[in-house]
Amino acid sequence: MSLPDRIDPRPPRRIYRWDLDKTYLQTEFDSLRDLLRTAFQKAHEKQAVPGASALIRELAANGDTRLCIVSGSPKQMRSVLEEKLKLDGVVWDEFVLKDNVGNLMRGRFRALRGQVGYKLPAIMESRANAPVEAEEVLFGDDAEADAFIYSLYADMIAGRVDERVLNQILEAAAVYPDEAERVRTAWKKIPVSDPVRRIFIHLDRLTPPAHFANYGPRVVPIFNYFQAALVLLADGHLTAPQVIKIAVEMVQTAGHNIITLSNSFQDLLRRGLPLQHAAAALVQALEGPNALLQALRPVPDIISAFTKRLAALGTPPPPPPVQAVDYLDLIHHALPRTHKARKTH
Amino acid sequence: MATKLVTIAFDVMGSDHGPAEVVRGAAQLSLESPHIHTLLVGDRAVIDNALAETKHNGERISVQHASEQISMDEKPGEALARKPDASVSVAARLVAEGEADALVSAGNTGACVLSCARHFQLLPGVRRAALASVYPTRARRGDKDDPFSLILDVGATVEATADDLVTFAVMGAAYARIISRNENPKVALLSNGTEPNKGPRQVVEAHARLAGLPGLQFIGNVEGVDIPKGTADVVVTDGFVGNVCLKMLEGVHETVVELAQYAYKESLRWRAGLAMLSGGIQRIKDVTDWEQYGGAPVLGFDRIFIKAHGRSKSRAIANAGKVAAKAVSHELGKAIQEGLAR
Repeated sequence: MSLPDRIDPRPPRRIYRWDLDKTYLQTEFDSLRDLLRTAFQKAHEKQAVPGASALIRELAANGDTRLCIVSGSPKQMRSVLEEKLKLDGVVWDEFVLKDNVGNLMRGRFRALRGQVGYKLPAIMESRANAPVEAEEVLFGDDAEADAFIYSLYADMIAGRVDERVLNQILEAAAVYPDEAERVRTAWKKIPVSDPVRRIFIHLDRLTPPAHFANYGPRVVPIFNYFQAALVLLADGHLTAPQVIKIAVEMVQTAGHNIITLSNSFQDLLRRGLPLQHAAAALVQALEGPNALLQALRPVPDIISAFTKRLAALGTPPPPPPVQAVDYLDLIHHALPRTHKARKTH
Repeated sequence: MATKLVTIAFDVMGSDHGPAEVVRGAAQLSLESPHIHTLLVGDRAVIDNALAETKHNGERISVQHASEQISMDEKPGEALARKPDASVSVAARLVAEGEADALVSAGNTGACVLSCARHFQLLPGVRRAALASVYPTRARRGDKDDPFSLILDVGATVEATADDLVTFAVMGAAYARIISRNENPKVALLSNGTEPNKGPRQVVEAHARLAGLPGLQFIGNVEGVDIPKGTADVVVTDGFVGNVCLKMLEGVHETVVELAQYAYKESLRWRAGLAMLSGGIQRIKDVTDWEQYGGAPVLGFDRIFIKAHGRSKSRAIANAGKVAAKAVSHELGKAIQEGLAR
């Protein structure tokens, strides 16, 4: 080992970007009462989405990773949110919160609810400081504009979106000029590369998965984090024993069981995700000594449930085709929804 | 006490409204009832397309591909022989193998009953299965103020013996106790007079035996006029008569609706009269809304099968799933066996 290697932290090989509310935390803010309750909740009262903290810990355990959180929660909540993350054993590298009070004081009311003008510059500026070879996985939810913003971000740094389209998007999303300028400035600093591997959308509102089909196969809507772990196993970000650890935590803390887990596995197969090899790795890992799993349920039952769900489909469907994303057509996904639209959605 | 997890297999391909309607019903169930898991049996691609567009909880739904389906107009025996991978047959097999706890289908009734007969076992003491049906009545019953009575058999056993009629009575009473929460349902035999000696030989014999059967509130014979009145909570008859009665009830309902439509179009005075009655008409509509009941059971097998109406929309399908889950959770088969042992 050379001296610089010992002194300087190694550059991250992988960057995981997370949203917080509805992605990591089970947050309700559909009504004023929900908002007030969320604002006054103590750290230990906040509930993480089952499996989320286990997934983050397992991803971090592989080393050379960065965890970057960009949340729409107000800056005033930083201490309680940080306390919650610490309670869950989550270690972060970046934690950006929204300056809602600042926006209010300056009369920037559009910025209170707008997500494009807030998240896009934040993650672009973060990427500008990242090594060009670092690949990324992003986590968001179906409550806001995450699928749109994350996909746009990925295609911008990969050179698949031109400035004319970006300007039209920023205008349609009613982004303030200074926020738009931050996006353009950061974009210029980022070398062209294609680092975004996956975008997971946690289906907090149980939005039908087809709603995200126009974003292509890179965006994977998930009902739970066991599904994310399976895809990350197939993508080489996790090992099979790590996926089992996440599943065990979900069984022990959130009432998941062999049926919900095997159904979740089959749901991804039916959407054409190539998980056959991941399933084989999982079965192999299950066959090893694992006292915890044996205590939960006999391992042959678990293997049998997964094997049956796989066999039930006959020939697996082909993976969905890769396609160019028409952001101008999808811009409505990124606009704040009215209360009425939320209800009818 | 934690609610027991139940898995319901749905034959997706049989409905008059197409597979998407059944998928939507199962999707609705996945959102409303956390303890019910659904196993959708049918063409995987068709199911997935419908599911992808429907709000659902993917943790509670799985799919079993079946490449064939039986349509409403096919002859059940021939169709099942020609199509070994028919969705209803595959679904019944999966229930028999324990992959699911009950079966719901809105498809070809004959094919459904035959599939169950091939894959399920009859309960000890049951010689023939009975197809039951619910129908709206004037009277209400049970904890739930249920406006429906049960009639059985409506077509599974055309000629029933006295033994069969007694078994049907016990099975119908068990079902009413569990599903309508009617602790002590009134059970009657359908005949051409209320006197014990009225009717064919098997009805007279069944009457004598039911009158002495403990644990059953047998109220004797009822006539056709008593069916819509709701004199009995469970009406027992053979499949031939039961089917004729059921079809007549449906015919009367349709005729009344058509007459009302005719009256509405015919004169302004009649229209005004109907408008004044609209609140009451809506109430009758609500009371007789068979979709809230979901479906009717085939009784006598060791597994639960709920036959949903061919015209079932998603709400009726979801409710049929709930009825099936309730029958499983309350161990309907065990309740029937206990009744027969008395």
